[in-house]
Amino acid sequence: MKHTLKYFFSFCLVLSISLAKAQETSPKGELTNQPTPKTDGVIPENTEPFKKVDLIAKKKDSIAPTPVKTDRYGVRVGVDLYKLTRALYDKDYKGVEFVADYRLTKKYFLAAELGNENKTTDDTRLNSTTKGSYLKAGFDYNAYQNWLNMENIISVGLRYGFSTFSQQLNSYKIYNANPYFGEVPSIPSGQKFNGLTASWIEVVAGVKAKVFDNVFVGFSVQLKRLVSNKQPDNFENLYIPGFNRTYNGDFGVGFNYTVTYFVPIYKKKITPKKVEKKK
Amino acid sequence: MRKIYLLVLALALFFSSCEKDDICDANTATTPRLVIQFYDFANPSVLKNVTNLKVVGAGMTDGIIFNPTAADESKYLANGSKISIPLKTNDVTTSYTFTLNSGNSNPALVNVDDIKFDYTKNDIFVSRACGFKTIFTLNPTNPYTHTIAADKWIKYISVEKSNIENENETHIKIFF
Repeated sequence: MKHTLKYFFSFCLVLSISLAKAQETSPKGELTNQPTPKTDGVIPENTEPFKKVDLIAKKKDSIAPTPVKTDRYGVRVGVDLYKLTRALYDKDYKGVEFVADYRLTKKYFLAAELGNENKTTDDTRLNSTTKGSYLKAGFDYNAYQNWLNMENIISVGLRYGFSTFSQQLNSYKIYNANPYFGEVPSIPSGQKFNGLTASWIEVVAGVKAKVFDNVFVGFSVQLKRLVSNKQPDNFENLYIPGFNRTYNGDFGVGFNYTVTYFVPIYKKKITPKKVEKKK
Repeated sequence: MRKIYLLVLALALFFSSCEKDDICDANTATTPRLVIQFYDFANPSVLKNVTNLKVVGAGMTDGIIFNPTAADESKYLANGSKISIPLKTNDVTTSYTFTLNSGNSNPALVNVDDIKFDYTKNDIFVSRACGFKTIFTLNPTNPYTHTIAADKWIKYISVEKSNIENENETHIKIFF
């Protein structure tokens, strides 16, 4: 797990650098500073008195209308492949996470994740199994300025997460600083703690790229901080579904790799911003 | 835009340098030992030092190491007025032989007493790194059994604290 995480962070690092380089070639603003083509489709107010026009003749000499740039709005649904495929190589883990977002405005997306996890944590002195479900809801802000009809996303967002789960202590070891009678082997327990809950706030940084048609591939990293944590008696929540491993203190980290499908609902024309003319 | 790359970069660097936190800190209060202090039987309020006391658990060949720095046999010998001995975490009784003047060339001075401690135990969660610890409660009616040898050097044993939860207090007083 530790190595996988390390690998993914390194991967993110490499990706972020390559993105930064790709961006370098076109200085920001250059595109927007170019003279905007006239997109005004509104017929100017007629100041002259009405007169009869031969419609067919008029159509002949009219110029073809400039194509209007539109933004597509809709719901994006998908699944976290990282969690799904992890069961293939990690026998201690089973999990699934569904992700969805809804485009609210040009830059803001409502976002949610729903998941279920079953994870056995094997530490040197403790072995425990956590099972449970979680729901995360919040928003993403797309900070990426797309060109033409691109729909890529580089986002930062906030989530509130809530998880309900159970923990089972499988076995434990007694820590004895003075093992005069020898180290005692781990003691099987099987004690189960039900009805545990936890909630947290997380900051999400993510990338989504349209690979073809309406299919997006993306990944995100999450920084989490516990808000509430109902601990069992004489044990601790070592793993919280959705929050992942707990550390001393309230912080946690997460990662996902998603494949999503975009379901367009409606389109919205982009109204170009008025550029003030220099006097 | 540049700011976001910097953020991702900083996060990536931050997490790649994470330290392992699953090593149990030596200062953590874990399974406590039984703390015994020695007093003068003739003058019960005065501490009395033992001489070359060797404590060996039942079934063990080596004694409890009191002086880790000392060489050979003398590392098993206690000469103060206070000792700490571990109790078995996987049993509810622990027996020890207390040998006074251990290794003395005069066999008449070497005096062996047996004490068996009876208790109940409870496993308490400490942390992910340390796991659990065991705390003990000495049996309220029969906390110890002092086997009387031909010539016993321990005159009286008093239980000061029957709940053994830490090592900051004296649990047993031995008068001799």
